Amino acid sequence: MNKLIHNKMAILSIGLLLICSFLPFFLPDYFLHIAILVLLYAYLATAWNILGGFAGQHSLGHSLFLGIGAYTSTYLFTGLGITPWVGMWIGAGLAGLAGWFVGYLSFRYGLKGPYFALVTIAIAEAMVSLTNNISLVGGAQGLDVRWEGNNPLVMQFENKIGYYFIILVMIAIAIALVYWISHHRFGYQLIAVRENEEAAEALGTDMLRVKIVATVISAILTALGGTFFAQYITYINPRNVFGEGPSIQILLFAIVGGLGTVWGPAIGALILVPISEFSRSWLSGTFAGAHLLLYGSVLVLVMLFMPKGFVGLFEKIKQKKFRKQSTPSEKEI
Amino acid sequence: MIFSFELLAQAIVMGLLIGGIYALISVGLSMIWGVMKIINFAHGEFLMAAMYIAFFLTAKAGWDPYLTIFVTVPALFLIGVFIFQLTIKPILYDPPMNQIMLTVGLSLIMQNLALFFFKADVLTSSTAYTKMNFYLGEVVVRTSQLIAFIGAAITAIMLYWFLQKTELGRAIRATSQNPSAAMLVGVNVRNIYLIAFGIGSATLGVAASLMIPFYYTSPTVGLYFGLIAYVIVVLGGLGNFIGALVAGLIIGLTEAVGAVFLPGSFSRVIVFGLFIVVLLFRPQGIFGGKQQ
Amino acid sequence: MSFLTVDNISKQFSGLTAVADLSFEVEKGEIVGLIGPNGAGKTTVFNMLSGFLSPTKGEIFYKKKRITGLKPHQICENGITRTFQIVQPFPELSVVENTMIGAFAHNHKTEDAREKAMATLKRVQLEKKANKPAKELTLLELKRLEIGKALATEPELLLLDEVAAGLKDTEIEQILNLVRQLNQDGMTLLIVEHLMKVIMNLSRRIIVIDFGKKIAEGTPVEIANDPAVLDAYLGKEN
Repeated sequence: MNKLIHNKMAILSIGLLLICSFLPFFLPDYFLHIAILVLLYAYLATAWNILGGFAGQHSLGHSLFLGIGAYTSTYLFTGLGITPWVGMWIGAGLAGLAGWFVGYLSFRYGLKGPYFALVTIAIAEAMVSLTNNISLVGGAQGLDVRWEGNNPLVMQFENKIGYYFIILVMIAIAIALVYWISHHRFGYQLIAVRENEEAAEALGTDMLRVKIVATVISAILTALGGTFFAQYITYINPRNVFGEGPSIQILLFAIVGGLGTVWGPAIGALILVPISEFSRSWLSGTFAGAHLLLYGSVLVLVMLFMPKGFVGLFEKIKQKKFRKQSTPSEKEI
Repeated sequence: MIFSFELLAQAIVMGLLIGGIYALISVGLSMIWGVMKIINFAHGEFLMAAMYIAFFLTAKAGWDPYLTIFVTVPALFLIGVFIFQLTIKPILYDPPMNQIMLTVGLSLIMQNLALFFFKADVLTSSTAYTKMNFYLGEVVVRTSQLIAFIGAAITAIMLYWFLQKTELGRAIRATSQNPSAAMLVGVNVRNIYLIAFGIGSATLGVAASLMIPFYYTSPTVGLYFGLIAYVIVVLGGLGNFIGALVAGLIIGLTEAVGAVFLPGSFSRVIVFGLFIVVLLFRPQGIFGGKQQ
Repeated sequence: MSFLTVDNISKQFSGLTAVADLSFEVEKGEIVGLIGPNGAGKTTVFNMLSGFLSPTKGEIFYKKKRITGLKPHQICENGITRTFQIVQPFPELSVVENTMIGAFAHNHKTEDAREKAMATLKRVQLEKKANKPAKELTLLELKRLEIGKALATEPELLLLDEVAAGLKDTEIEQILNLVRQLNQDGMTLLIVEHLMKVIMNLSRRIIVIDFGKKIAEGTPVEIANDPAVLDAYLGKEN
């Protein structure tokens, strides 16, 4: 990659980070809440994108890892008094293990595309049913995150700004990680595996290892997000962390933004989350499912008209402009 | 848990009866998947739509539930055709994941439209058949479930006859085996896809009418049935008609018997576990079918 | 033991024997051709050599190391790389990125891989198209890319699977020259090919198989006059 572009990107990103750091102090509480949700879903979608967009393995059950993170840290906190700052890493470790397990089983046996998607759905649904029956973690009632007032040591803040900065750091790291991956060997191999598995394998890429590593990284990141989710929403149950809702949302943002791109998932979240939250508050009295109806419609429309997402759209427009400027010798015959 | 033979016998009977319905629901999905290689993630929601239709006809208009078939079947056929033309035909040759995402979107839309129009209420209709039951030895059999099983069986037989013996049916089977070859012998493959999608959806109309005397409807009723349908289709072998029927019975039994021995909804975990095992070790299903 | 030793390999597919007790050797620096009528088992042999299939019986040795049953990426790491008869580019990646995937086999840093890839593209004369998406290439260019990707993995033995298939006469000439140049630069090659003129022109030695068995082995001249070979080809639609 061009050193110049590299530096331009770095400067832009740092600039963006600075803006985001000052932003919360000027936002009224409700908008701050939306900003936090945008960042959270951007983070989760970015994590999903490592496996779904870059490696091309579309997991439809990523809520599995979200739930493992959320339940582990919350149970350790409410049951054993362990601070979520520690619990989140235990949850991440467990999720990493689960990711390895799911990845190894699925990819060792050659599951691809729809079949892999189905396995991930089945595993997540099995977790919902399982958790519903385990009274230790509250069964179907779920768990409430015990409120101890403003206590940063247990990841609880009176003022939303505390949460904002945590998730801002998380997404900054996630995007930096994805950027780094996409410019290094692992990222190239991920894309190669997505584009043509056999060819990649013939050229020395250990596709099994690459897929499993992608799954594990994605799982760990998602689980960390699960802990944040639990701490911010302060209530978790089998459906809202293991269910299909979270699974679909995070992949929706990645798809709408642009699969396999660094900024795609964040863009998707940035566009869709505020719209859905606004519609949720306008219509909350009359229509609880407005935002889901919106998501469903967006998904259908995107698949019909812009399957490469917004980033794909930008690329197409850029290419059209480039073609117009190209010299005759570069045009296709 | 208290184990008794009566309990087990009861579970087996109920499992078989509900298994028949599961089989009917899955046969349509198997056909669609087998013919077009499209996994319709909104299959459960189509069932939900049919159940709402059946519900309103029986509860509000006083219809005999089994007569609602004359409405639900054509209605579902038309809905299937409409949705196919509008959303599925354009992406027939797109990557499979795009197709999956689209149908996932459809399922979200349908669920939440139902939520909007009908609220989250769980709706049951009380029909003449609802309370009827009889005894088979120690086992209680709900008449409506038995009728449902018989209805499902009849429908399955009719569908099988249609696929084997009629020209249209043969065209569908040919397309599902080899679309290019079918085209070469003059089959209009696009139309076949359309019709297959319509028929696959129409079977849900039958299932809904059969279920409404003993099952509730709600916006999310399709979720579990949809999921079960995929399990059954994979278990029975993709596109394998008889396989789907047998697998339906197996899943019905597994669920019911599992509920005897395991607390709560653990039996669902068993069903999903079975699904995962089959996907990993025998993705062509117990009876073998087409792979993706 | 030679550079590549194939020792009595067989491949069975539930009742169908695709390859039966095949043995041959390849010396360093040779170009060896593998020919046979359609369905003779050539692709199966290639798949076994490159790790995509495991022999049911028999062993394969490369530089005295047993490589039977290794996975494709391991075989590549060891120094044997194959191309595919139907070209297998990474469509969304550019030409240089395609080649970098190969380069990453032995170069872990991105800059090194890119350098290696560009150098490889020069060898296959694709350096001008480095930034074009692979899906925009002509067939000849894709064939060059196919070879280039394999070259970037720094193999010592290159398995070319019907590299001339689908090309026009002038294009075939260009590919022939490329292959000859590679050999002159030190590459050992095992080539599967249908076109007689390609094989006869390039190979120092030819192995002929039919129904999975070796029916002849020798120089192009010897093969051309071998009655068993003529029988195998004329006895079938060719």
